[in-house]
Amino acid sequence: MSGTRVAVVGAGMTRFMRRAQETGKELAWEAARAALDSCELTLADVDAVCLTSAPDAFDGVHMKGEYLSDGAGGFGKPFIRTYVGGGSGVFTAIQGWYTVASGMFDVALLVAEEKMSSTQPHPQGAFLTIFDNILERPLGPNLLWIFALEMNRYMSAYGLDKRDIASVAVKNKRNAAGHPAALLGQADITVDDVLASEVLAWPVQRLDVSPISDGAVAVVVASEEAAKRITDRPVWIEGVGWNLDTTYWTNRDLVYPEYVENAARMAYDMAGVKEPRRQIHVAEPYDPFDYKELHHLEGLLLFEKGKAPEAARDGVLDREGDLPSCPSGGLLGVGNPIAAAGLMKIAELFWQLRGEAGARQVPGTPERGVAQAWGDLMQVGTVVVMGNDGGPPKTAAGLPVVQTPPYTAGGHPLSDGGFRSALGAVDHRLGARYSWDAGVAVGRFLDGLRAGKILGRECRRCERVLVPPRMFCERCFRETDGWIEVEHTGTVQTYSICHVSWDMQPLDPPEMPAVISIDGSDGGFLHMLGEVDPDGVRIGMDVEAVWKPVGERAGSILDIDHFRPRRQS
Amino acid sequence: MEPRVAVVGIGHAGFAPITAGLSYKELMFEAAQRAYADAQVDPRADVDSFVCCSEDYLEGTSIFDEYVPDQLGAVQRPVQTVAADGLFGVATALMLIRSGAARVVAVEAHSKVSDVLTLGAIEQFAMDPVFNRPLGVPALAVAGLDMNAFLERTGLTEEHCAMVAAKNRTNALDNPRAAYPADVRPEDVEDSAPVYWPLRELEVAGRADGCVVVVLAAEERAGDLTEAPVWLLGAGWSSGSPTLESRTWGEADFVARAAERAYAMAGIEDPGEEIDLAEVDDVYAFKELQHLEALGLGTAGGLAEMLAEGELEADGDLPVNVSGGSLGQGNLFEANGLARLLECAEQLRGEAGERQVDEAYVALVQSWRGVPTTSAAVVVLGNEEGT
Repeated sequence: MSGTRVAVVGAGMTRFMRRAQETGKELAWEAARAALDSCELTLADVDAVCLTSAPDAFDGVHMKGEYLSDGAGGFGKPFIRTYVGGGSGVFTAIQGWYTVASGMFDVALLVAEEKMSSTQPHPQGAFLTIFDNILERPLGPNLLWIFALEMNRYMSAYGLDKRDIASVAVKNKRNAAGHPAALLGQADITVDDVLASEVLAWPVQRLDVSPISDGAVAVVVASEEAAKRITDRPVWIEGVGWNLDTTYWTNRDLVYPEYVENAARMAYDMAGVKEPRRQIHVAEPYDPFDYKELHHLEGLLLFEKGKAPEAARDGVLDREGDLPSCPSGGLLGVGNPIAAAGLMKIAELFWQLRGEAGARQVPGTPERGVAQAWGDLMQVGTVVVMGNDGGPPKTAAGLPVVQTPPYTAGGHPLSDGGFRSALGAVDHRLGARYSWDAGVAVGRFLDGLRAGKILGRECRRCERVLVPPRMFCERCFRETDGWIEVEHTGTVQTYSICHVSWDMQPLDPPEMPAVISIDGSDGGFLHMLGEVDPDGVRIGMDVEAVWKPVGERAGSILDIDHFRPRRQS
Repeated sequence: MEPRVAVVGIGHAGFAPITAGLSYKELMFEAAQRAYADAQVDPRADVDSFVCCSEDYLEGTSIFDEYVPDQLGAVQRPVQTVAADGLFGVATALMLIRSGAARVVAVEAHSKVSDVLTLGAIEQFAMDPVFNRPLGVPALAVAGLDMNAFLERTGLTEEHCAMVAAKNRTNALDNPRAAYPADVRPEDVEDSAPVYWPLRELEVAGRADGCVVVVLAAEERAGDLTEAPVWLLGAGWSSGSPTLESRTWGEADFVARAAERAYAMAGIEDPGEEIDLAEVDDVYAFKELQHLEALGLGTAGGLAEMLAEGELEADGDLPVNVSGGSLGQGNLFEANGLARLLECAEQLRGEAGERQVDEAYVALVQSWRGVPTTSAAVVVLGNEEGT
């Protein structure tokens, strides 16, 4: 595809910690130094720096990339921060690939940093503002909702057993027990432990979820010529793919990540991978929640739709299994400093394909691996295929050459008490206020709600009615054709029973968010269920809008108080 | 450099102090439609990759990347966010095309800053949280500090900065899309209130909403898409020290490094001779002079003379910010770079109307990411006569 092949030649990471003493800059520097040390380079050898880090809201720093740049080695260098939400960590390797494959730079340093612990009172606060500013935020959604809604849809569509899904959390936390940088490695955890853990937002339980973490990872990539000068064991970036789906997640069926498949096909095409299940020997799919790893293995075309859970149950994904998946321990075991966790997957493939993964080394002679991350509003797929041109080097006895992992597991974990007392903390509150234009389409929609009507826009070319409405059709990319009033009724596409608030305080009674598909439209939106017992809710249930009294309506999504089971058909 | 890359389409929307009633999505849709029409491409079929340039806090949305694809025709396509000015997006498009990952790339940047009610609070959040914020010093103060150091080092004066502000605001009178055109004389600027002395009110660009979308293509496609390709002859970008305590005050060393790379790629040896016009960052008036110095387009003494002789005016030897710059068009934040590129593309195509510069073959575009950053990008453009 390009003039030059691009190889990973070095990698390093900090420990993943619940709360690091280090600032974000210091974490970035620790990882960058470890990566450069691993391939015996200095910053002077680096031609360009690529950085990623997830929302600025974690650090409470506007233009966070600029703030982090000197810690990441960006001083005096061409430096760019790219960003695709949770997909960012793997995307940084894609950025590194095109930066070098362009022929403009020989050696690039890739740094992924995340310091989530700065957000008070809970890092989930950074996610309150990921939702649509006009149509979703008034409902008070928290991050757990979207995972619970997607997981419920996935389980319900294929009739999946929660035990099979929980086996992924068990596998990854066990795998991480051998990882010196891991936060949640646990060799003796069982499926019953996962199923007995606190229900956060049904069907999501505490041990289904990766931990919030601080940490950084860095990787060095080089052009073919430079790579061969730097190391005798380069690991090649054979294919890259990335893809972003529509913002309107309530208009999609959450059962399958098409955007991951699109990204995978792009990467496989470039890598010449025609039979992924046969040609991929080790996988690092994105696993912020246990079900996500399975969802993604299906999107990566490594398993048929709905079939990854049984592979997990049958041990196929174990480190000794036929397709080792997350041998690192993944986000569930090593930790989830968001952007850093994605680049950790690239680092893990590098170590696995060099035979350097130590206690985590997969057996045999893996020649090719795939790393994948996911992000935004269940919307982004980022995929990288890496290969070692014929297996890791072997000793005379035919055994892989196993070396001590060359990274430095730096970093100083702090307890909350230690953070507040011994070292001091600097508090800031962001006094930011916004007043958004709802715009032509959503403005009219809100006027409709005030009048007790649900309005959609029609695209006659695509024969769709868009709810929420927009003035453009994202499929044919032309202006939509007219307004249509749709029904007040719909069906539950998926729902959750959420027992905790965004800062993890108990909610009693629980909240019941749901994606409602609106009758007479091809769309729907997020809203709340009411007047129904949590045990009585079902996917596919017919529901109707319950409006606030006319005098209380304000032209807001909250003019619909909730949806309840439909009383007459 | 292979393959060569050209700007084959460009569109804009907004460029107004406020764009009431339009959402940022609708603003982006309008600019994108114009750019695709200009390039005669269907984004659903012909654009291989999309690059958006934004910062979360300016949008009031975490992970703003979520909200970009639909209105650009980019659903289920390769899309990424570059957290930087639009020129860094153009640099990214260049790398994507040269790597072979794409032949046609759309780059988008916008400002919907009228949605932000507390811009000062957000800008203060760009300051180091431990060292600087507790002092309560606003980010704008960094511009005042830098201006004072710049004047001290170069011997240029407040009057020279006022001449820049007057030139750009007056140039904007000929630019129908400018948000802040004004018939302003240097004396008016010097009489305006100091904000962070020596920086004065009329030397600070006013905020504006707007969106620019640019379509770039590899040479093999550029020929099919336009009869007037604007070639991307060179690009460079660089960062300095983000830390206030360890930077070189009064000097844009990072702009000099970015320019060095862009000139090397474009084969430019004597920028003052070879560049016919420039659109450079002037979010604060003194920055135009500081940036011209770093770009090798004038020395401190030379710039004083060029201002006195009118050489930086639209009909001078080196027209700078004929568009009115950010002072005249408004501060479009991450879209500033693409707004400058828009002006240069129109000039190189001979479509700049009242503002058309004679014999415009090679143009320079430069952006800086604003206080308190030290990151800049430089792009050199040329039409068929300029290559």
